[in-house]
Order: sequence, then structure tokens, then C-alpha cells
Amino acid sequence: MTADGWNTDDELRARLHAADPASSLPPADPSRVARLLEDTMSSSNDGDLMTRSRETGTHGRNPLTWLVAAAAVLLIAGAGAYGLMNRDTGTPAPGSTTATSTVTELSAPVASSAKCMVPSAEVLGQQSLAFEGTVQEVTDGKVVLNPTNFYAGDVTDLVTVTASTADLQALVGAVDFQEGKNYLVSASDGRVSVCGLSGPWSADLAALYQEAFPG
Amino acid sequence: MRPVVDDDRRARFEELAPALMEPLRRFLARRTDAATADDVLADTLLVCWRRLDELPAAPLPFAYGVARNCLANAERGARRQQRVAAKVASVDPPRASTPGPGEKDHPLADALERLRPDDAELLRLWAWEQLTPAEIATVLDITANAASIRLHRAREKLRAELRKNALVSGHEESREGRSS
Repeated sequence: MTADGWNTDDELRARLHAADPASSLPPADPSRVARLLEDTMSSSNDGDLMTRSRETGTHGRNPLTWLVAAAAVLLIAGAGAYGLMNRDTGTPAPGSTTATSTVTELSAPVASSAKCMVPSAEVLGQQSLAFEGTVQEVTDGKVVLNPTNFYAGDVTDLVTVTASTADLQALVGAVDFQEGKNYLVSASDGRVSVCGLSGPWSADLAALYQEAFPG
Repeated sequence: MRPVVDDDRRARFEELAPALMEPLRRFLARRTDAATADDVLADTLLVCWRRLDELPAAPLPFAYGVARNCLANAERGARRQQRVAAKVASVDPPRASTPGPGEKDHPLADALERLRPDDAELLRLWAWEQLTPAEIATVLDITANAASIRLHRAREKLRAELRKNALVSGHEESREGRSS
């Protein structure tokens, strides 16, 4: 094989280079370039973003750094939740379902001072339960949801979220459950996930759920 | 923010940015559709302007790295929007495709397609952006050593794919070498 055009690195590079889709890209209109640069520089004259980034120096961090940090926060929070769960399991007991209606019982999230991360499909996708549902009733220490669509987890007729008064405060602070409204709720280890992973139905959150649980 | 500092910054950016513009436009044109490329170019310049103090003496690989992250963000957003649109209209918008070269090297395009995205990206940075392993390392935020090793492996994988392709088609190397 002499003429296959990939034996040496130079040949391979030349062959790849010949297939460069941008080779026919016409140069940008100079006036457009000038305007773009001007827009860029004036955009932060009013912005405190630049000032802040220079003071704190955190803007230089790679987004991946934030993702890793956020994942670490979640891991720590998850480990803590798991430790608590060993005492009091909130996962639905298989024997607790009745013939007439099945219920998934969830409890409130662990009150935590850990900072929230930006909700991502990756994190959401790790939740063992995710569904869309309407709040049927909110009683003292208990929220009953009527699920309309399960993204993940076992399908049941109802989902309840129980919480002690203090926990409910934390829960209500995180997800403001109101009767008759539609919510997207996810949970792992029997506890509702907050930090943007559960909340009132919105197009953005629904899209995130779609992304996390494709199909 | 003192106006003097501002003027200095402006002068530096005006000196730097025009040289970044064309390479960044080509970088984006190779990887996304025209409209997204325009948006991401503006985002990239904005990030470079804000992080002007961090720009290294040779700012291009750094700027490619910024563009890469901005593009990934834009595509995440676009995927999300597409899903919403799909839910509402149950019709997916047509996929934006990168413009192909005039005379398409199908065996090569197919071989690139079959590589892992990371490997294919390394090869693009090497052959299209014409970067050295050290520069690739800056773009991908990895060590120069890792870039060098991965690039070497990616080249070997591409060669293996091309070889496979040539065998399947029964030609050594042919423009119509696609098995159909």
C-alpha cells in the first residue's frame, strides 16, 4: 500500500486537512467584526460581572471544576442521607400496597446547609424515582400527589410525602406544594430531592426531566 | 473601575481580538451551524474580554478552549429547547449539520465518525486547527504529555478505521470506496 495517504503523520494530517469543512468559509465582513468587538467591550462597562471576577478570581475556573465541586457536595449530602435512611427507611414497602390503590411513600429531604448545585440531567438521572403529578391535598405533615407520568421508579396510583413539622418547613421552603398545582418531583432513597431537582412544573424543569430520563 | 484601566484593557483587547476572530470563526464553522456559530463567537469574545488578564501570551489555544466550553453550553441549551419543542409539536426541528467540504472524502469522514468523540476532536484540533500537542493540551485543559499520548493513539485508531474501510470496500483507497 503506497498511495493510501495515511501512513505517515504528515500524510494523515494533510488528508484530514483537505477535508476541513471551514476551508471555504469566507472571511468576516470587517465592519461586522468591528461592531462585534465594540459590543463585546461595551457589554461589561455596566456589568459588575467583570469587577466581581477580578476580585474573586473564580470566573477563571473551568466549568468542569464547578461540576466536580457540585458532584462532591451531592455525594456528601447523599452519604449523609443514606446514613439517616438506615434508621428509618422511607422507600415504599412492597407489602403496603392495597388492591385498590398503590402508594409510594416519600419523606422530606434532610435539612441541610449544603449549598445547592445547578441541577443537571446527570444528577437528576441518578434519582431512583421521578414523576410528574398534581397535588391532591396538603394536610398536616403530609402531601398527597396524584402522579400523571412516571419518568423513573415503580408506577403507583398515589405518592405521599410525609414530614415532621420541622422537616416540612424545610420541604415547603424548597418545594412549595400547593393543592391543585402540577409538580415535577424526584427522590432517591425515599427522600424528595430538592435543590432544583423537584419543583413546580415548568418548561425548563420538564425539559431537564426529559433529558435525564430519555424515552 | 477607573477609566484609565478601562482604556488600557480596551487597547489590549483591540490589539488581541482581531487575530482571534478568523480562527475562532473557522473553529466554530467546523463544529456547528452558522447561527449557533455566530452566537457562540459573541459569547467566546465576551469571556475572553472578561478574562483578559488571564489570557496567555499566545492566546489562541486558550480562546479555542473558551469557545469549546461556550459551544458545549449552547448545545446543551439547544437540546433542551428541542425537547420542549418536540413535546409541544411532536415534530423535531431538522438537525443542523456542519457544512461538508466541496469534495467529500467519505472514507475519512466515516472513519472519523466511528472514532470516540474525544479522539475525533483531538484529530480535528491537530489537523484542522493545526495545533501542536502542547496547544491541544491548553484547549482541552489536560497536560501536554496526555495530549501527546492521546493524539498518538487517536491517529492509530483513525488509521485502523481507514484500513478497515479499505478492506470492506475491496479497494485500496477509492473515492467511491463506501460499501453500499
